[in-house]
Amino acid sequence: MWSGRPAGWLGGVITIDGLVKRRGGKEILAGIGFEARPGRVTGFLGPNGAGKSSTLRILLGLDRAQAGTALVDGVPYPALPDPVRTVGAVLDGSGAHRSRTGRAHLRWVARSAGLPPARVEEVLTLVGLADAAGKRVGGYSLGMGRRLALATALLGDPSVLVLDEPLNGLDPEGIRFVRTFLRDRAQSGRTVLLSSHLMGELAETVDDVVVIDHGRIVAKGTLAEVTGAHRNLEDAFFALTSGSGR
Amino acid sequence: MRAVRAELSKLSTLPSVWLAALLAVVVPTGIALLNRGVAGPDRGYQELAFGVMGVIVLGVVAVSSEYLAESADSGGGRQLTTSLAAVPSRLRFLAAKALAVVLVAVPLAFTAAAATMGVVQARLDAGRLAGVVCYWTYTALLAFAITVLLRHGIVPLTVLLVNTSVVSVTFLLTKVTPLANYFPDMAGVRMFVGKVANDDVSISPLVGLLVMSAWVAGLLVLAGAVFARRDA
Repeated sequence: MWSGRPAGWLGGVITIDGLVKRRGGKEILAGIGFEARPGRVTGFLGPNGAGKSSTLRILLGLDRAQAGTALVDGVPYPALPDPVRTVGAVLDGSGAHRSRTGRAHLRWVARSAGLPPARVEEVLTLVGLADAAGKRVGGYSLGMGRRLALATALLGDPSVLVLDEPLNGLDPEGIRFVRTFLRDRAQSGRTVLLSSHLMGELAETVDDVVVIDHGRIVAKGTLAEVTGAHRNLEDAFFALTSGSGR
Repeated sequence: MRAVRAELSKLSTLPSVWLAALLAVVVPTGIALLNRGVAGPDRGYQELAFGVMGVIVLGVVAVSSEYLAESADSGGGRQLTTSLAAVPSRLRFLAAKALAVVLVAVPLAFTAAAATMGVVQARLDAGRLAGVVCYWTYTALLAFAITVLLRHGIVPLTVLLVNTSVVSVTFLLTKVTPLANYFPDMAGVRMFVGKVANDDVSISPLVGLLVMSAWVAGLLVLAGAVFARRDA
């Protein structure tokens, strides 16, 4: 499957197709589909409860869909030969146990992927957490927890980054850091898929936009295509999701 | 296997696992010290039967630490998300974790048995020692499997600890029905304890081993099946 690809192609195409998820008789995803491509930041936008997190959790094999597929380079996440080196994920909070130190958390993840301990120190420096690495995660602020989650996602230097609400609870400096970081990531040919309900914060960061509302995709395309005749992405978003009563 | 090494790394950096290790040695030796004056063929072994709190804590926290939610202020995440991102095969993850628990429980059982027999100054019989190690390891795995099914540590921890220490519900049930002798703890101790207080059913060590093995295998299979199907 790798033939015919340009040299240096990192892979990392995310293809979501016909995803259906029901929970307790309620339809959370009604057959959604979209693609996130290498070299681009794809914003997966929608109001709270629209189905963003469910989609990302299914993509990562954490939740099961009743129908449809969510693939990375044509393979479901659990079937990837080396998941930590292929996809990095930042979901809720830090994803670490509160009584472990940040370093100890990263060490066990590195062990599970066969990565050297030196890589742990590299990612700690990369996200600016080196000074707090010996502190227990329970004593971290929200922003520090998010940085730890990002460090965890970057351990395997993956070609794909998946982030659920990466800007939530961050201070302005943190927001700037994450934005710049994600742009750089895409610039280097990697795939970035991030979900958010904050439109204003994202317009400068994303190349492609997928808008979800009530478990259905209501718009997808480049930033310019989705914004269309509206003044900005935020206006387009509210126009597209106005029926949601939010 | 990398997944097992990662699970061992998790256990060794969890403070409650060190508490479990401490309990595993202190509880049976402590009971043995208190019972010093009591003679009998089961000296030391009785203490080792009651002193399994440490491995119960070990089996429970190995799993409950995955489900412990961060505070809402910190985003409400759980470690399980990270674990399954690193090892996406549910069964491989669970098997690695169970194996890590066994690798910690076995040396703990040997240490506790040696310390306890040292206190009561009795000779350790190889067959009964094997029974102790098996009982302790199985007890850790029972706690492990039950916590997987419940996704929370408090209930299994409380029920299992109370059952071994304060009021043995399974023992009281044997007064109601002889079938209660086939609960995993009641049957399992027959591997190394000759006489369970005023019992009317005789279960050989081999039958005890088989009965407890069946409980452990059954609960592990159930836990694996549920864990593999459920949303994480």
